Amino acid sequence: MSEYRKSQQTILNYQGGWMGVLAVPGAGKTYTLSALAAKLLSEVELAADQEILVVTLVRAAVGNFSQRIQRFLGARGGLTVGLPYRVRTLHGLANDIVRERPDLVQLDEQFTIVDERESTEILAAAVTAWLRTDPDVLHWYVDEAQLTRREVMQRNLPELFQRVAGSFIKQAKDATFTPEALEQALRRFQTPLPLAQMGAAIYARYQQGLNYRGGVDFQDLNRLALRALLADPTYLARLRHRWPYILEDEAQDSSQLQERLLRLLAEGGNWVRVGDPNQAIYETFTTANPKYLRAFVAEDGVTARDLPESGRSQASIQALANWLIEWSQRSHPSPEVRRKAPLTPPLIRSVAPDDPQPNPPNVPSAVILYPKPFKAEGAEGEIETIAFSVQRWLRENPDRTAAILVPRNERGTKFVDVLRQLDVPVVELLSSSASTREVARRLLAVLRALSNPLSAPFLADLYRALYDETAEDQAAVNRTAKLISTCRQVEAFLYPQGIDWLDEVIPDDPDFRTHLDDFRKQVQDFHAASLLPIDQLVLTIANRIFTESAALAVTFALAQRLRQESFIREQNQILANNFVAWSLADYAKQLEEIVRNQRRLLEMGEESSGFDPDKHVGKVTVATMHAAKGLEWDRVYLTSVNTYDFPSNDATDHFQGESGLVRDQLNLDAEALGQLATLMSGERYIEGQPTQAARIDYVSERLRLLYVGITRARRELVITWNTGRHGDQREALPLVALRTYWEQREKP
Amino acid sequence: MSLIKVSDLTKTQKSVVESVPRGIKWLHGPAGTGKTTVGVRRMLRLLSKDKVFANQILVVVPQPVLGLPYKIAARDPKLEAGGRITITTLGSLAQDAVKLFAPLVMPELGFANPYAAPTFLSLETALYHMSEVAGQIIAERGYFDTVTIARNRLYSQIIDNLNKAAVVGFPHEQIATRLIAAWGDKDPGQVTLYQHAQDCAEAFRQHCLQHNLIDFSLRVEMFRLLWQMPPVRAHFVQKYRHLIIENAEEDTPVTHDILLDWLPEAESGLIITDSDGGFRRFLGAAPNSATRLTDGLNARDKIVFTDAQSFVTPPALQALTADFATSLNQPVPIVPVDDPRAALGHDTARYYTEMVRNTVNHIAELIHVQGVPAGEVVLLAPFISDGLRFFFAEELSKQGITLQSHRPSRALREEPTAAALLTWAQLAHPHWQMTPSSQEVVQALRLTLPELDPVRAQFALLQLYKGGRLGAFDALPPGVQERISYRIGAGLQTITTWLEAYQANPLDELDLFWSRLFEEVLARTRYGLVDDSPLATVAANLIDSARNFRQAMGEIPLRRALGHEYVRMVRGGVLADQYLRTWETPPDDHVLMLPAYTFLMMNRPVQYQVWLNLGSSGWWERLYQPLTHPYVLTREWDANISGQVWTDDDEYSTRNETLYRLLLGLVRRCRTGIYLGFSELGEQGDEQRGPVLRALQTMFRRYETETNA
Repeated sequence: MSEYRKSQQTILNYQGGWMGVLAVPGAGKTYTLSALAAKLLSEVELAADQEILVVTLVRAAVGNFSQRIQRFLGARGGLTVGLPYRVRTLHGLANDIVRERPDLVQLDEQFTIVDERESTEILAAAVTAWLRTDPDVLHWYVDEAQLTRREVMQRNLPELFQRVAGSFIKQAKDATFTPEALEQALRRFQTPLPLAQMGAAIYARYQQGLNYRGGVDFQDLNRLALRALLADPTYLARLRHRWPYILEDEAQDSSQLQERLLRLLAEGGNWVRVGDPNQAIYETFTTANPKYLRAFVAEDGVTARDLPESGRSQASIQALANWLIEWSQRSHPSPEVRRKAPLTPPLIRSVAPDDPQPNPPNVPSAVILYPKPFKAEGAEGEIETIAFSVQRWLRENPDRTAAILVPRNERGTKFVDVLRQLDVPVVELLSSSASTREVARRLLAVLRALSNPLSAPFLADLYRALYDETAEDQAAVNRTAKLISTCRQVEAFLYPQGIDWLDEVIPDDPDFRTHLDDFRKQVQDFHAASLLPIDQLVLTIANRIFTESAALAVTFALAQRLRQESFIREQNQILANNFVAWSLADYAKQLEEIVRNQRRLLEMGEESSGFDPDKHVGKVTVATMHAAKGLEWDRVYLTSVNTYDFPSNDATDHFQGESGLVRDQLNLDAEALGQLATLMSGERYIEGQPTQAARIDYVSERLRLLYVGITRARRELVITWNTGRHGDQREALPLVALRTYWEQREKP
Repeated sequence: MSLIKVSDLTKTQKSVVESVPRGIKWLHGPAGTGKTTVGVRRMLRLLSKDKVFANQILVVVPQPVLGLPYKIAARDPKLEAGGRITITTLGSLAQDAVKLFAPLVMPELGFANPYAAPTFLSLETALYHMSEVAGQIIAERGYFDTVTIARNRLYSQIIDNLNKAAVVGFPHEQIATRLIAAWGDKDPGQVTLYQHAQDCAEAFRQHCLQHNLIDFSLRVEMFRLLWQMPPVRAHFVQKYRHLIIENAEEDTPVTHDILLDWLPEAESGLIITDSDGGFRRFLGAAPNSATRLTDGLNARDKIVFTDAQSFVTPPALQALTADFATSLNQPVPIVPVDDPRAALGHDTARYYTEMVRNTVNHIAELIHVQGVPAGEVVLLAPFISDGLRFFFAEELSKQGITLQSHRPSRALREEPTAAALLTWAQLAHPHWQMTPSSQEVVQALRLTLPELDPVRAQFALLQLYKGGRLGAFDALPPGVQERISYRIGAGLQTITTWLEAYQANPLDELDLFWSRLFEEVLARTRYGLVDDSPLATVAANLIDSARNFRQAMGEIPLRRALGHEYVRMVRGGVLADQYLRTWETPPDDHVLMLPAYTFLMMNRPVQYQVWLNLGSSGWWERLYQPLTHPYVLTREWDANISGQVWTDDDEYSTRNETLYRLLLGLVRRCRTGIYLGFSELGEQGDEQRGPVLRALQTMFRRYETETNA
């Protein structure tokens, strides 16, 4: 049989023009698209200044693509055999476009991209200033009694309006609306739109804050890239020439603006978009929407193709996933959700038995939809029960992989804690990548010890960070760290004058003494380096404690990032006329935040080719359902499938985003976006409608998240639910439906 | 740098050196064909054989570093004593002229006090004044709201526009008009920005006139006016009778205008131009304008060299230029005869740090195994980040190799020594209300008292530093004193006592404050800032900078005390100049690392070059500044295509041409080989796809295909 399935082969026969491909989970989207890139590279004659452009969603996928393309062509990267292609994330592409002609969009060549943390800070300042000067809008929406409460005024409301303004600004930028344009539109509009007024005012302040810092945020990148292309047709023509073929993966996650950008580049050229609208799960966090891809595939002049075959899951799991699609279309209790069609065909089909990657054998009993409610936590709760279950299973299946998928990070952390207590080998795949965090953890230990040189406990942590990786005897490392933490006057150990603390605590163990002398010397070196600028300090530390290239590369990127942060900070100080240099403690804090929040932080090492669950055989991975996208395990536990995390537009459902502070259960984010949409389209704004529509969107996205979760399992699937923090949550309706279907199916 | 003997010169070279010192000669050709050697030999010949007085010889260079070979030769003790050759830029000459003759033009230009002595502004003091003038306009009128740019860069671009107008020779009132015409109808927001920049430029000029301040642009404009006055011109023409004009293609149109007037009146003139030069175009260099100097010369006075006559570049490397030309759509300069791969080295690395280590191993092999002198190896990149420089320095030092880098952009306040001195100034002047942070005080203590370790420094800080004041060591309980140690305590006590005494009668002049601090406290052996020479150099730079600032302020009323204002400016990054110019004479035993353009402007061939960040598109990108435009604010654009819009086609062809000139310039300054520092992922982890990389990849593929065929 051919190397490719029939549906894959149809796509590889592509000759040119626009093509839209709808794929199912496990259909080999990336595989097929990289094979297509390789085929074009070997068959199409490109001029010296032309490249095939591949765009994808996340950085991890970039390295993955490159390696696959090179593998297909039997080539290695490098100088001598470089191939004319470029793989970029959509943000990376926008960055390339803007960096090449910053003058077209009034940017200085040294513009910086501020990350989420910095932009949140600027936004917070803008919201605070707005609340101080123009708080009238509060009276429209917030109960008067609440406005007298201190905590509400100082914490809850600023947080609420930061979120509302944040979504408003994102959406306005996606629609390429500037603060000035909004201001003009508002002036023309007769009816009061208080949230849009609020949004526009904060947007203007926020943008001013960015401009003064010489920075742009991630949304700006897309907006500015589009503006640059529209500003100079000759530039657009040059880029069209440079990228005669554009291949786009994960197209369901592209925003309207990103699609516009690619559409402009691909006009009159060749564009292949591959995606799975059923796996669009970023709608709430971004301005992406799967409807754009669906609409594209239906456009005149676009060749529509499917990739419906998948060898990933056993037939029973596929059947369950397919049934969820059908149920959502036919039997979902909410007619609005049915109309919205959150899940659509193609249904998943099994591959032919002689396929190189056949489906695992069908074992219906390996699908367990647990009917009984669990308590969220505590003895015999969901976490504990699953932890015991996976422990047992891993013992019985030491050569297999398993995952526990959770709706939110915090829940994942709780799972990890319990698994660790049980000594179950666990891999975390929560907010940031494991290796980046490991590198940062060790750097942090050094920075903390340097910023608190008098602290013996920090010094002990530093000792651990330096030796626990390499030590064979972990207990000895802990003992030594404990000993160091008892040192009452650190200077008597690190810089003895007269009495040497080591003489007191280890008078007669020459080997141990030499070891601690070495450690002391190491710390003294770090101290000497602590006068250096932060990037140099971090690199000095890294050079002493890391040997692997990947770890050094991560450090290099972190060091540059810290330096950039301090530059932005300086710009703020110049504006505020308040010059206080950052301390090492500030940098340590910064490093923690970068690692915790920076979704787009460089991820090298293992992550450069994407997280590979198969490298973690015999262990359980704990991940959010979002982070699990694109991955697969032999056994998957889907947890917390209750009405809180998977609502169904039932009257009793609680919706995240609807604050108790706001009257009439209004979702202020949605109402603000509704008013923005009114400004843009001129259509009438009816209060409450956007809230209702947001509920349907949320219900739809959570259905897709459930679908994503189910389709991560190859052989075994366990779905459970809990009664929530207050014990008042019920089994999610889709789970009830799935279970009913499954139980009936099992009956003869 | 040793001088080539006359006997070793070629026939053509010798004929120019030994020609009668009358009339004008022009030497033109690629770098590395021995033109500067002729210039230097000619200068020496004028002195020795032609018996010209040294002070009658003027060597005009576009920037001081290009005068280095002349300066070194002129220092030769064997030369006859008497007089000094002037080796200078036209900017310096302009300053001399303005110093002498300013009152002749000051009334005409509208200076408020035309007969009072003017104050000359350096770039940094000009920036200070611009920050005051433009800062106020921005605050009042809300200018520049839509441009994404840090304040300091905004100010420097407005200054840059004024300077461009001056060196190109058009009225500064026309800056915005020209920029707007070339912008076209792309985005009206940009037009507003140009107008705002124009308003600020004019306000700055008015401020200068009001306070008798002369910045670079005004200096050049004044010199142009003075040059039109017969007595002034006669002063210069009669003083300098023999002109050697080095790298005229890197100089500005106004310089060429003046030289055009001057050359016919000189006894002799030697004009040297590099073909494919013009690396300083973003600073106003105009290669085409330079050719005006040679109009009307006889064919026998025009000596043109070709690549084939290069003393530097081997054929394999010359072959490389043909591949670059093809990739960048430029006319191919030569038919390659050799395989360029023979002169290229490279390794494969995925990560950036791996690339650094590969490169360091390669350099170590060159130096330790092949015996190449360290000074014959340069590391080049489009930009050098601090991280990159530092990482290389560390890795090279492990191999026993010292790295010297050129970092003109590094701010003074980033130097720990400067930061320590600023902290002392803040502590000594509590009424400024600029209380230093604990970390700043700890660092100042550690640098000032080298015996003080970081742990005791922290402890001392906790005990002594309260409410922004450093308390007395003597007042601490004995147990605490003992923990800090009495020896260190004595040092601390001297400082605090001195600070207390100083505060009774503080000085407004910060340079004097620091001088006193040095003299009365830090000069004692216990303190660390004096003995260690690099630290002392930074300290000296800071003191110089403070003095310059004080002098540049003249009588201008300030909102704050002079010293306070200075510290604010340095902390805020407005006053950032390093004053370090050690790279002008790079040591032979150091590997040098510098931006590629800076290396070209040193005009010094080496045996081995290392090109770093090969995949970066920075090689191809020009300086982008939203308030100015290096190619529009030129005489060429004005003369030929006035009213036309600068399009992406212009941009693209200019970039290709500029990159090609850069690569050609580098190759022509390389004697043996180039190591290509390449990693698949760049500094920030992105895949690299820049045009230099693409050109090299195409070349490697082509040769491989040919070999296989």
